[in-house]
Amino acid sequence: MNDTERSAARMRSPEGIRGSLHDFLKIAVDKGAVDSVLAPVKVPAENSYAWILMNDPAVIESASPVAPVMPVQGAKALKSLTRKGKGESRILAVMRPCEIRAGIELMKLNQVHFDNIVLVSYDCPGAVPFQDYVKDPGFSEESFGKMIASGRPGEENIKPACGICTEFSIVDSDIHFGYFGVDEGSAFVIPVSEQGAELLDAIGLDRDAKIADWESEISSIRDKRTKKRTETLSAAGERIKGLDGLINAFRKCIGCHNCMSVCPICYCRQCYFDSEVSKKDPDFIFEIAEKRGAMAFPRDKVMFHAGRMTHMSLSCVSCGFCTDACPTGIPVAEIFSYMADITQPTFEYIAGKNNGEPLPLRKFEKKELPLVHEIVKSAEGEEGSDE
Amino acid sequence: MDKKYVPRITSFLCKWCSYTGADLAGTSRLQYPTAIIPIKVMCSSRVDPVFILRAFLKGSDGVLLGGCHPGDCHYETGNYHTRRRFAIVKTVFESLGLEAERIRLSWISASEGPKFARVANEFTETIIAMGENPVKKKIFL
Repeated sequence: MNDTERSAARMRSPEGIRGSLHDFLKIAVDKGAVDSVLAPVKVPAENSYAWILMNDPAVIESASPVAPVMPVQGAKALKSLTRKGKGESRILAVMRPCEIRAGIELMKLNQVHFDNIVLVSYDCPGAVPFQDYVKDPGFSEESFGKMIASGRPGEENIKPACGICTEFSIVDSDIHFGYFGVDEGSAFVIPVSEQGAELLDAIGLDRDAKIADWESEISSIRDKRTKKRTETLSAAGERIKGLDGLINAFRKCIGCHNCMSVCPICYCRQCYFDSEVSKKDPDFIFEIAEKRGAMAFPRDKVMFHAGRMTHMSLSCVSCGFCTDACPTGIPVAEIFSYMADITQPTFEYIAGKNNGEPLPLRKFEKKELPLVHEIVKSAEGEEGSDE
Repeated sequence: MDKKYVPRITSFLCKWCSYTGADLAGTSRLQYPTAIIPIKVMCSSRVDPVFILRAFLKGSDGVLLGGCHPGDCHYETGNYHTRRRFAIVKTVFESLGLEAERIRLSWISASEGPKFARVANEFTETIIAMGENPVKKKIFL
């Protein structure tokens, strides 16, 4: 991202942002600027969407770059393509801002390689909760269509995580499509990176539009959202306070680990919580049960969730997939976002930003963390030193 | 609670410094409480945040993490990473409203036998004052 005033191209389509993005995909492939496109396509049964890597014009014609639901985190699709290094072909990937941010976190974890990928983001109105969509695709399509047409972020019928999302607009992608508050049917095509600018030049989009109005619209929405997020998350934090609060929050948990398997950040092939090591011997369980008088199963629910907080909250991008995947309706995303908003500032880190900074746990300063210094000092008494 | 209550303090001690420091405390005939249950680790940064959480949630009354002083790590930078990890565990404990005072990070070098004994005594007193870990009574965990 640069600080100079952004210049943007303008695209118009009778179908609004969906039309403009669709046209953009077709032009990019037609002109040979990219080899293929990664975007959501409606499945033939018409009750979900799938990520499809395509270069056949007929398939691209059927793509829905702005899908109402997010069945699979886009970063996971990107990971499947690039986890072993950069691919041969140049891919244009259209994703929601949270998917791109998750992709950036995975890049820092060496699971995604961006070298041959052009990332396209757009002003995201939010996504319909997956269960709602599956139950009534028709209604969801209609309400999402209205949301898109309104040119503002959605308020109703969106995932709870989307309602408190503050990173709904421009992120560290290559090209961004901005349309919030822009007159109907038109969208700004904003180059974010150099690669993005080159691609726009290659396909011959003139950058002559002024986007100051759009920028101020975005920042005013973001202010409102930030307020709502702070309120929602601090209320969530209050609800889970203390050992009892925590136990209550996860009482409904059935230990399916869905939240973990859909999480884009949890990439480890073997998770501690799925391993044999985490399972105790029956004898030990009997012993505990005897001491406490009773024992509930499945065990270690608090350990699983609190453990995941220590493992991935630094990279959490609040995409809300965990809530979507929870079969018992625990607001997992809310709880994890609450934790992420506390742990990330501890290291002055913002997940999903591509500024060449490594993950907080992969670097250190020789003198840092007054919080832990204090802990060390109180342990060491007056003799204590951190050097 | 009975007067003779002895807490259990799971102590992860780095092989090169804190564990040797504990050894020195022993060979120097310094008294430290039997509450300390030492676990030798090759480096304090071997201790994953989940180890600490697990020890706590399985009923340890306290968790002590001992490493070399910053700059003295046998592997050069291990303990700097430990400090960052510990900061995460501490932050998570605090923001979940768990008793963060039950976990402690101390830098104890191989020559600091008396310091190990002091840290052990101090920490055990703190834990005794706090009482038993409430997780021991929880059925739904």
